[in-house]
Amino acid sequence: MTGEEILGLVQSAGLDAAVEPSAGLGAAGAVAVTVTVPAGNWLALLTLARDRLGCDFFDWLSGVDEAEAGVAVLAHVYSLAGRHHLLLRTVPAGGQPRAGGQPRAGGQPRLPTATGVYRGAAWHERETGEMFGVIFDGHPGPGPLLLPDEFEGHPLRKDFPLAARAAQEWPGAREPGEPAGPGQPVRGRRRAVPPGVPEGWPAG
Amino acid sequence: MSTELPARSRGVIGLLEENCTVCMLCARECPDWCIYIESHKEPTPAEPGAERRAGAAGAAGAAGAERRPGVAGAEARRGVAGAAGAEARRGAAGAAGAEPRRGGRQVRNALDRFAIDFSLCMYCGICIEVCPYDALFWSPEFSYAETDIRELTHERGRLRDWMWTVPPPPAHDPGAPVAREVQAVYGPGGPPGVSDPGLSGS
Amino acid sequence: MYRTSGGPCRFTPSSRAGRYPGAVAAVDLPLPRAGRPAGLPVVVDAGRGCALWICDAGLACCAVEVAAALSRLDPGLAEGTAEVNVFVVAGTVTDKLAPLVLAAYQQVPEPKFVLSFGACSNSGGPYWDSYCVTKGVDQLIPVDVYVPGCPPRPEALLAGLDLVLQRAPA
Repeated sequence: MTGEEILGLVQSAGLDAAVEPSAGLGAAGAVAVTVTVPAGNWLALLTLARDRLGCDFFDWLSGVDEAEAGVAVLAHVYSLAGRHHLLLRTVPAGGQPRAGGQPRAGGQPRLPTATGVYRGAAWHERETGEMFGVIFDGHPGPGPLLLPDEFEGHPLRKDFPLAARAAQEWPGAREPGEPAGPGQPVRGRRRAVPPGVPEGWPAG
Repeated sequence: MSTELPARSRGVIGLLEENCTVCMLCARECPDWCIYIESHKEPTPAEPGAERRAGAAGAAGAAGAERRPGVAGAEARRGVAGAAGAEARRGAAGAAGAEPRRGGRQVRNALDRFAIDFSLCMYCGICIEVCPYDALFWSPEFSYAETDIRELTHERGRLRDWMWTVPPPPAHDPGAPVAREVQAVYGPGGPPGVSDPGLSGS
Repeated sequence: MYRTSGGPCRFTPSSRAGRYPGAVAAVDLPLPRAGRPAGLPVVVDAGRGCALWICDAGLACCAVEVAAALSRLDPGLAEGTAEVNVFVVAGTVTDKLAPLVLAAYQQVPEPKFVLSFGACSNSGGPYWDSYCVTKGVDQLIPVDVYVPGCPPRPEALLAGLDLVLQRAPA
């Protein structure tokens, strides 16, 4: 199936979809298309991909923390007969940061589960739920998959820094020739921050 | 037990302290944060000829020269904050006394501690690749298991001992491209008259 | 759990899982028992009248190197030899799997020694900053020998077992 045929079928379904070619998905020269729909049409898009677009192979479902835009949920499906890739994308409500850039500690994006359309999405949704905090309504067996039960927080969100990198003293923080000693500023230059730690974290 | 190891095997890292200028690049680039470097600044001893030249440059500069050794020593004791002020003063004194800067009162980094924690090390080799002065080398030794995990942090002395196990760089494979440092001198074809420019050695 | 060469490794769902919170299954390890026929894994005749029973918790990539090392050893159990059990932890210990590793260690009979194989089980290794990795298996169980490497060579495991032998009761 060519990109134009996919575009026609998607637009004719009336899902308010935005279609664009995907970069880097599949082999060079393969047909790969990203389809973005509002969260309300998520199940309809999945059903369209499976039934009308011939995407019978469910590859993965995961999330992308897009900071201001919220947490996007993506699913990669593939058609074995038509040999085309589809990256299905939606941004459920509730994942946007609060006004003023405050961390969205209370935000819980919700989306209906894809397991009714693709059974293989079960474990993927469990992982996306624990890593990004997305709630999938109707999931047959929700619960943490990879994280221990007593884990708090959603690690793959951008506002979840790695605690070890902030707590541990970075050996590279010293300037060459600076003798060992507690926190000496070097000629007024701002202290280098190790990679992976946001500026000014932890607060206070 | 003897094992046939392939060339460029990554067993342990050796440090050639003489090449190290304490630029801290290895400690900064290490993804595991397992290289611990401590150092201080100290003035390099002036060359004997430069001392005479500096002294003869002018009696007007004599006062500055006398002031400078004391300043440099105090700077080493006081640490970095002192160094900042001392260098400013040194620059002013040099300008006032018209002293040549070369040959006297240069400051270098002196290594106090260089340790690699091999319980954390993942043997990626980034430290060896990034070192601009070739102070770190791969050695194929692999049997250094310990019963105490603190013994797996190797200090300067032990890292120097690993240097004696570093093999000479292996010959390039036949048909390999010319090494970049050789290309810089001879161009892409390598040295003239060498049939296989990929082979190392003459 | 990595399957050592030879004997079976059966998962028993839920019968013993309640003892260890978070455990999803209890694991029956091919541990030495009286009457076990010769040839089952993995016995090393250490040559000093001592045989090592090696139980390998192969959690990640280091398991491949341990497998390579163990495949080069000759299994065998001479009569009248002293037996020493070595619990080898090879691979990253995640927080989710930590209770199972502890449970497996507790099932190994005495006299037992623990050999930590590779950077991940020594100290967390490349995942020292991860949110779900136990920074070294010595946070769970006492470790006797640490073998550094990422992964260490199979020969490094044999060198580590030599160190264990030095500590084993003569």
